[in-house]
Amino acid sequence: MDGPSEKKEKVVKEKVVKEKGATSGPGGKKKKDVKKETGLGLSVKKDENFGEWYSEVCKHEMIEYYDISGCYILRPWSMAIWEIMHAFFDAELKKMKVKNCYFPLFVSPGALERETDHIEGFAPEVAWVTKSGKSDLEVPLAIRPTSETVMYPYFSKWIRGHRDLPLKLNQWCNVVRWEFSNPTPFIRSREFLWQEGHTAFATKEEADEEVLQVLELYRRIYEEYLAVPIVKGMKSENEKFAGGLYTTSIEAFIPNTGRGVQGATSHCLGQNFAKMFEINYENEKGETAMVWQNSWAYTTRTIGVMIMTHGDDKGLILPPKIAPVQVVVIPVPYKDANTQGIFDACSATVSALSEAGIRAEEDLRDNYSPGWKYSNWEMKGVPLRIEIGPRDLENDQVRTVRRDNGVKEDIPRGGLVEHVKELLVKIQENMFEVAKQKREACVEVIKTWDEFSNALKEKKLILAPWCDEKEVEIDVKGRTKGETGAAKTLCSPFDQPELPEGTLCFASGKPAKKWTYWGRSY
Amino acid sequence: MVACLRVPSLTSLLFPATTRYPASLRRTVYLRNRRPLSGFATAPSGTTASTETKSAEVDRLKSDRAVTPRTKDFNAWYLDVIGSAELADYGPVRGTMVIRPYGYAIWEAIQEYLNVKFKETGHSNMYFPQFIPYSFIEKEASHVEGFSPELALVTVGGGKELEEKLVVRPTSETIVNHMFTQWIHSYRDLPLMINQWANVTRWEMRTKPFIRTLEFLWQEGHTAHATPEEAEKEAKQMIEIYTRFAFEQTAIPVIPGRKSKLETFAGADITYTIEAMMGDRKALQAGTSHNLGQNFSRAFGTQFADENGERQHVWQTSWAVSTRFVGGIIMTHGDDTGLMLPPKIAPIQVVIVPIWKKDNEKTGVLSAASSVKEALQTAGFRVKLDDTDQRTPGWKFNFWEMKGIPLRIEIGPRDVSSNSVVVSRRDIPGKAGKVFGISMEASTLVAYVKEKLDEIQSSLLEKAVSFRDSNIVDVNSYDELKEAISSGKWARGPWSASDADEQRVKEETGATIRCYPFEQPKGTKTCLMTGNPAEEVAIFAKSY
Repeated sequence: MDGPSEKKEKVVKEKVVKEKGATSGPGGKKKKDVKKETGLGLSVKKDENFGEWYSEVCKHEMIEYYDISGCYILRPWSMAIWEIMHAFFDAELKKMKVKNCYFPLFVSPGALERETDHIEGFAPEVAWVTKSGKSDLEVPLAIRPTSETVMYPYFSKWIRGHRDLPLKLNQWCNVVRWEFSNPTPFIRSREFLWQEGHTAFATKEEADEEVLQVLELYRRIYEEYLAVPIVKGMKSENEKFAGGLYTTSIEAFIPNTGRGVQGATSHCLGQNFAKMFEINYENEKGETAMVWQNSWAYTTRTIGVMIMTHGDDKGLILPPKIAPVQVVVIPVPYKDANTQGIFDACSATVSALSEAGIRAEEDLRDNYSPGWKYSNWEMKGVPLRIEIGPRDLENDQVRTVRRDNGVKEDIPRGGLVEHVKELLVKIQENMFEVAKQKREACVEVIKTWDEFSNALKEKKLILAPWCDEKEVEIDVKGRTKGETGAAKTLCSPFDQPELPEGTLCFASGKPAKKWTYWGRSY
Repeated sequence: MVACLRVPSLTSLLFPATTRYPASLRRTVYLRNRRPLSGFATAPSGTTASTETKSAEVDRLKSDRAVTPRTKDFNAWYLDVIGSAELADYGPVRGTMVIRPYGYAIWEAIQEYLNVKFKETGHSNMYFPQFIPYSFIEKEASHVEGFSPELALVTVGGGKELEEKLVVRPTSETIVNHMFTQWIHSYRDLPLMINQWANVTRWEMRTKPFIRTLEFLWQEGHTAHATPEEAEKEAKQMIEIYTRFAFEQTAIPVIPGRKSKLETFAGADITYTIEAMMGDRKALQAGTSHNLGQNFSRAFGTQFADENGERQHVWQTSWAVSTRFVGGIIMTHGDDTGLMLPPKIAPIQVVIVPIWKKDNEKTGVLSAASSVKEALQTAGFRVKLDDTDQRTPGWKFNFWEMKGIPLRIEIGPRDVSSNSVVVSRRDIPGKAGKVFGISMEASTLVAYVKEKLDEIQSSLLEKAVSFRDSNIVDVNSYDELKEAISSGKWARGPWSASDADEQRVKEETGATIRCYPFEQPKGTKTCLMTGNPAEEVAIFAKSY
């Protein structure tokens, strides 16, 4: 219990406490002292100080902060989650006949500036390489904030005839956006990992179809894997991708902060880039035509949204489908008990589960108490814990403890594998249901500006009738500007409630054209 | 026969003689897009695609040429293969490259194999930031000396001058150690074994696709251990994994060994390497594993409390394999016709070419081809059915041979009626590699294909081994060494001379010590340079 590693935990926590000292108000101190004694647990509650809570959960083996602000280290626990999503999505892309490739990190200013709207959107965030070794570069090079301008000259080169279409490429890589707004691990960082798909088609219909096909894959990542409920919809003119025709997105919502968070985007670029980069092809009639393009991406932000949605005061809660360890098996030996027998039972349980394709691990470390281990694995969010003690051994059973709701059960070892499989499915479903109910409780349908202001104050996810005019959105942004950022459109859901004739826009009083989600966002 | 079956360049296929675009447009398209591949190494230091050697470019485009024969001009052949087989293209910035899907799929096969091996041996993946504060790089003296000329530096971000310039990672030892120092406290935290798949940047002057580019993809493993023995064991284990990978998956008979002091990684105590002989007999360093000793842990103060509670510096390793390996595969197995891929890492293992003349034959042939494809795919093979009617079967044969597909299955009307197929091996040209009358029946065909692919895999390795062994000369004097090197071979001889002597060999012959191979001849040895007793033989060769 008093091993050196234990000390390490304390050291780390003390550091956290010290860092917190400056920002946290009075009252927090007592809790921190308690935490210092056990060396475990979080110093703040999710409902009391969400920002601090999030940062502490992330620091627990998911992320490490780094000397460069806004750059984070992805530790094995979060990297493994990213790899699980990668495995799912990459396989789906291969089914869609999208091919992986890799384009360079460096963008010449010429290429970057080719598309005016695009450069206006990204220029302020670009990081520039200006030197190699000791010498200055003749022309500074940008580090890709996204790869449209790197890739499309090659699309122009590779696409000749209609038989070269569709061209469907994807790359998994890092991108850099040197933003100055408040960095948040996973959610907003200066460097992040993503996949970016770039495709070209002969017809707009094909492009339109793919936009939605990919958006559906993104929905599946969030809802089926991360158990995060989302809304699919269309971005407003103001919020769409710089240089594109239209942007679809999936939007999640964080009830604690009342902020929307854009989960992933699938853009139809139309022919704008094709025009700039001369991406032409010869159609079946022998005429020169321009391609229709899409681009789409999801990032490591997914992990942040998942943490925010499910975590609780004990730490992370991971949905089984993306948990690097789905079941942790912990021996609970007593003084006179058959310790070896218990350890063997633990190992046998792990083997049986692993053979059945369940990601299981035992924690047989002898320098930690079972209680310490419970807390540690709860903090890491492992969905299911199995405890095996002397009495369990006697009765040929194990005890299961769910991370999502704490429910404990004694299960005969006979049917364990099947039972665990069922439990993991139940946990996955339950996590999604709980998150969905929480989100739905936040949705507020409003019709007037007053209702809008109130709902915004109450951190609601606002659904409002809107005239769909750019100026009106800009005006709303101006009127709601404050310390916590301005409100803007999140998306107009594809699933539109009925809009009765004569409904007016909540902001402009003009006839409303659609229902749109509004809120502050990450 | 060979002459009429040559592969036309892709450009000529895309731009047949008849004008499909207005001449002016065509010209601009050419100039913008088709930089000759050989320009890769010599491109000026400007940043965008240059317009040099326009006339040469147009000449190349005009000539309806095959891949330059390997025997004629190895370098031109290499660049032609990369272009024609659609493995890679030039990046928009000098010395960078675009890895196209076919080339990337080979990299994915490499990743897939190694990633599993790394996990089996207890390593976890993670991701470190790409930017490293310049001050980190400066901490380990020999490291900064080795890398500083090649560093790309970010000084402006988001429209502002940065307070500290940031290095775009050339390798991650420094940032890894910075973090290890915070994560490692006691012996219980050891060993710490991680790996990352990432891009790295080194501002090289002489570049060549896959072999040496400003930016490349790799995996870098980093480990920390409590004892020097464990670190040494780890460094050796990883070079063994690379060696096995090279032999078993890529059929490249690499020679594992230890680097000389001059060639050791900047900041390492010992560097282990696998050295491969390319088709032009130059050596390619295909992977390295470093025993870093305590160099970085001392520079960064990476310490742990041992079982007695005493503070010790950790012992470390790092090891890497990069997209350079793809270049190694091309240059080991390719021939005059183009690429030749070992079945185990080939993105497409079998290509099916249906053959029909009359329309009434088409349906039967295509449906037979589809069911063959289905059967092979179900059995787990990577199969491509080339059923376009735009190209003749002969054109397709050449095209897929150039792309290096190990096996081709031909199905014509007569094969359909006899319920059989024709199978051709890429590694045995002409009739000798062609077998008729293989039953189309799924289980027979699957068994046959499997057997042939295995045969090709081992045959490629055997061929490479005998090529390698016939090009290594045992030498006992400097004269013999010089002779071996000047005839393009590798020289293996006893060596215990000084660094200055090694430098002299480099200056006078262009050859460097590739490694002291693990496999050493028995008996007493005298240094080929000095006549003093020598412990080991070293291998000298010119290298990439």
